[in-house]
Order: sequence, then C-alpha cells, then structure tokens
Amino acid sequence: MRPPARVCRGRWAAWLAWAGLFLSGPLLLPAGAGVAATLIVDAQTSDGHALAGAAVTVRPLDGQGHRPTPVQAVMDQVNRAFVPDLLVIPVGSTVSFPNTDSVSHQIYSFSPAKRFQLPLYRGKPYPPVHFDQPGVVTLGCNIHDHMLAYLVVTDAPWYGPTGTDGAWTAELPPGRYRVELWHPRLDESEGRLARELTVGDVERARVTVRLSKSLQPPPPPPERSYAGDY
Amino acid sequence: MIRLRGCSTPRLCGALLLTLAPWALVATSPALDWDLSLDARLVTSDAQPPFAQDGSGTVRFGEDDSGLRLGRARLALTQPFGEVWSAHIDVSMYDDYDRSPVGVTEAYLLFRPYPRSGYRLRVKAGGFYAPISLENRAAGWDSPYTISYSAIDSWLGIEVRTLGLEAQLDWLGTRLGHSFDLGVTGGVFGWNQGAGTVLAGGGWSLTDRQTALFGRIGTPGVPPTYGALPFEQYDHRAGVYGGIEARYLDRLTVRALRYDNRADPAASDSVSGEMAWWTRFNSAGARYEGDGGWTAIVQWMSGETTIAPPGLSLSWPFKAEYALLAKRFGRHTLSARYDRFMVSTNIAEGDGSQDGHAWTAAYAYDAGAHWRIALEWLQVVSSSYNRVELGGLPLATETQLQLSIRYAIGSH
Repeated sequence: MRPPARVCRGRWAAWLAWAGLFLSGPLLLPAGAGVAATLIVDAQTSDGHALAGAAVTVRPLDGQGHRPTPVQAVMDQVNRAFVPDLLVIPVGSTVSFPNTDSVSHQIYSFSPAKRFQLPLYRGKPYPPVHFDQPGVVTLGCNIHDHMLAYLVVTDAPWYGPTGTDGAWTAELPPGRYRVELWHPRLDESEGRLARELTVGDVERARVTVRLSKSLQPPPPPPERSYAGDY
Repeated sequence: MIRLRGCSTPRLCGALLLTLAPWALVATSPALDWDLSLDARLVTSDAQPPFAQDGSGTVRFGEDDSGLRLGRARLALTQPFGEVWSAHIDVSMYDDYDRSPVGVTEAYLLFRPYPRSGYRLRVKAGGFYAPISLENRAAGWDSPYTISYSAIDSWLGIEVRTLGLEAQLDWLGTRLGHSFDLGVTGGVFGWNQGAGTVLAGGGWSLTDRQTALFGRIGTPGVPPTYGALPFEQYDHRAGVYGGIEARYLDRLTVRALRYDNRADPAASDSVSGEMAWWTRFNSAGARYEGDGGWTAIVQWMSGETTIAPPGLSLSWPFKAEYALLAKRFGRHTLSARYDRFMVSTNIAEGDGSQDGHAWTAAYAYDAGAHWRIALEWLQVVSSSYNRVELGGLPLATETQLQLSIRYAIGSH
C-alpha cells in the first residue's frame, strides 16, 4: 500500500510501524494467501486523460480487510491556499493545520463527517483535529472565501490519492474487492464511481475507472493582487 | 476625514502620518494587520481640468497635470477583536488640489461569524462600499485590471458610500457539494443625500480618485460641482439598498442591486441652502474567469437623480455600462475596456446632459510581493452641455497616458 501523501511520522514511529506491519502482516492475510498482488487503479476523465488528485478506497468484498491504522497528517496554509488541497486519511487520524502564511485564517467545516471551526492566527500553534467519522469533509476559510480543501476520511483498508499520472497502486492479498473513486470536481449527476474485481494470484491486477461526465472546471487560481469582492 | 489644520505643508504631514502610524500601532497591538502603499504616476494628458479642479474634463488628470504626480498613498488597518469581530480603516491621500488631502475612504466594524449549516451572515457598520463593483476587487477598492476605474465605479468612488448598516446572508453551496453559492444583501444608510450632485453637474468621468467620507468636491460656488458634499443628510429619511449575488464555482459572479437614498428632493440645509438629491439606481453585472487567465466583466447601471427647489422638479436620468476583457500571462496582465455613458435631463436647455464613450487599454506587471508597474492609455470622447456653459465646444476627445509605479508593504 502506498502511504497517503504528506503523512508525517517520526523516524521511530516509522520503524515501529514497519515492524508492526512485518509482524502482523501474515495475521491479516486470508488463510492460504501468502502472496501479495499489486493492484493498480487508473483514474481517467471522460475524455480519457489521467485524473490526478482523486481519492481511491479499496475494500475486500469478503469482509476480511484490516482496519486502517490512523495517521498524523498535515494540511498547511501557504499563499492563502490549503496545501495539499486533498488528503485521504483513515478514520481516527489527526490532521494539523500549521498555517505558514503570515496572515490569519479561520478554517471551518460543516460537513456531517466533522463539524469544527479553528482560528489559525499568526505565530500561534493549535492542536491537531481528530477525524473519527468516515465521509468527505469540505474545508473553507471564513476570512478567505476562495480557500477550499477536502479530507476523505475512510474506513477502507487501502486508500490514497491518484498521482499526476492518474494511477494509484496498492499491495494486497488475492481476493474480491470493491474499488471506489471520488474527486472534488465530479459532476453532481456522476453518481458513485465503483468497480468490483477479483485479484488472483498474479503479480499485477489493473483496473481503469473512467468518469462518464466531464469534470467541473477548477476555480480560477487565487491572485495575490485580489483582496476579494467588496 | 482627517483635516490637518495648522500644517503649512499638509501633504507632507499626511505622508508622515501615513508612514508613522502603522509602526506606532503595531508596537501596541501585535494582532493588527496593516497595509501601506505608495503609487507614483508619470502622466501625460491633453484633457481639460477635471471636476475636482472645477473643470469639465472627464479623466483624473488634465493637461496642466502632466508630469510626475502622486497617484495614491494609502494606509489600511484591520484590528480583530476576538474571532468574529474586526475593525477596518482605509486612509488615503490623493494629490489632486484636494479639499481633504488625507481622508478616510472606508471605516467600519465587521461581524463575521463562522458559517453554520451552509449559511453565513456578515454584518458591517460604518462607512464602506455597497457590493456593486465587479472590477474593484484589489485592496483599497482599486482595480487589478486598469488604473482608471470604469465610469460606473468612478462615480461610486466619488459620490456613493454606505454610512450605516449592511447585512449579507450567503448560502455556501460549494461547501455542501453543489456547484454554486447564493447571497442576499440589504443596507440601511444615511448621509448620502448629496449623491448625484457631481453626476448632474459634471457628468460621468473615468478616474481612480475616491472621495473621503464627508469630503468635499470642487470649490463652493464654482461650477460644475459647486463644492459638492455627497455625504450629507438633509431630512430624517434613511436610504436603503438590496442586492443579490450568485457565484458558479467561483468562476462566474453575477450581481444585481437596487439603491435608493430616499432623500426628500424638496429638503435643503437652512443655513447653506444645499439641496438633498434623491438618487436611485439599478445595477447589474457579471464577471467570468475562464481558463488560461481570461477575465470578462460586463456591468450596467441605470438611475435618476432629482432635486425639487420650490415650484420645480429637476431630474437627471443617467445610464452607464462597460465591458472589460483581461488576460493574465503569469505576472503580466493585459486589459481592455469599453465604457458608454449618458446623463439626460428634463431641463429644456439641457443643463448637465452628457453623452460619451471611452476606451481603456492597460498593461500591468506584478514584480513580486511589493512592486507593481502599470501603463494605461485612456481616451474619452464625450459631448457635454457643461462645456458650453464654461464657454467651450460641447464635443471633446481627451486622452490620458499614465505610468504607475506602486510600492506596497504590510503585515502580510
């Protein structure tokens, strides 16, 4: 499994995590499935181009998946924008918002998965926010209206964002899986994007998820010279 | 408005005040946000003197103003009080033979609670701009596209300001998985019963000079503006406005607003004899920001201003519109705008009537966090009764070329 982007762990925590994975790995695999296969998910726009920044979640259909380990992720505020503007994190994770901008921000969410508000004033550290419910959390800033970001909080064992090539890769044991895809700019009528597939005892399995509708256009890039509408 | 009485060189004192004030304030309050900017201009113009100098010109700088000028010196301060309250003040100085060399263009208290269930309320109290302009979105109500504002926004900057209370309720659909946001705005205000004086007296113009709150325009007793006082109250009637706004994916913004200062056109000041101007207008516009750095703006305004001295009812219907197209290439922005405007009247002789159009072409370069360089060519072709009254021909073509170099610093 590829770790989600921008996940921070200390060196010792990383060693412990790897050791834990090494030791617990055989216990998590179904009986007799000693070989891990590689699953590649290719996300594509309706016209066949690579779709970067889509959230991929993979669940086993036989219900034998492990519960994902919570992480400590970081979403920074740089030049009046969230960086990154999409995080895919397991349920129970925490996210810190360090605000490296010289201006203050007031971030908020009224998404059902997590309602919160957090002032980020210059030079004041704030404790990380805990996300304990699965769902999409939309973040905004009460001072800078154009700032927009998304957290996909998932209970799926395998998860992550697609890269610039539209691909996401995971190592998982053979079995039947449900692959789901979400993107912030999906057309409202697109519906749920899901594929079911069987991963056999082969080295690589590949599935393409293609949108049926065009993506909504991205918001215009924020300009430093724009103070906002009066 | 800050008047620097007893100061032999008021502009120098103003500059000193603008420069020193942020340091003094920052020392006392670390949460204070501040912006300081200085905009110097190199101007060449063949225009007649502008209305601020009692002329009939339609651009900010007349022929006699050619040379090095001060575009604007500006200081803005924002002080938060807790999480949801803040106070904002915008102080500017324009070197325009001005009655108020240093003035406050906006000063207000803002209540901006966090959104709840997709709705957000914002309440402003004080002196500020109503949500009409689609081009003036840079700090200090400046335009990021051109140096001179459109005719519509020039007039708003000269004569129209809210001195009162405004509430805005937004439905943030884009935060709820939809593709659009909606908003409604309502305002109640006073002290804007002089709005319309400059429009009826001097007509439309294209400028970037904003009148200070409670400021005076021109010289008392001298046409065309007769020392207009836009921010006055002559009766006990409050003005109102109501507007709507829709935003599609932050790309398309549509605004419409109805303004009515509800002045009694028969009211006047018993001492000075100044009349109340009953001014009302509708405004609508749209801004689209497309791919590849393109921005297109169209705006329309139509209204009327009326005074009713004993036995008379004098009206000046007015109308203006513009279309702007801008293209951004990295740090470079090219903009072009076409303005069309007119003032008519029910006075048989045609006092105050005007008809004209303008072309503006501008190039701006954002040279990093502090410097901005802009070059603008502006040509206004207009026919005006006012010029005949001042002893000239009604038709004039005025051309102004400006190079602006602006340096800005601030807490962010």
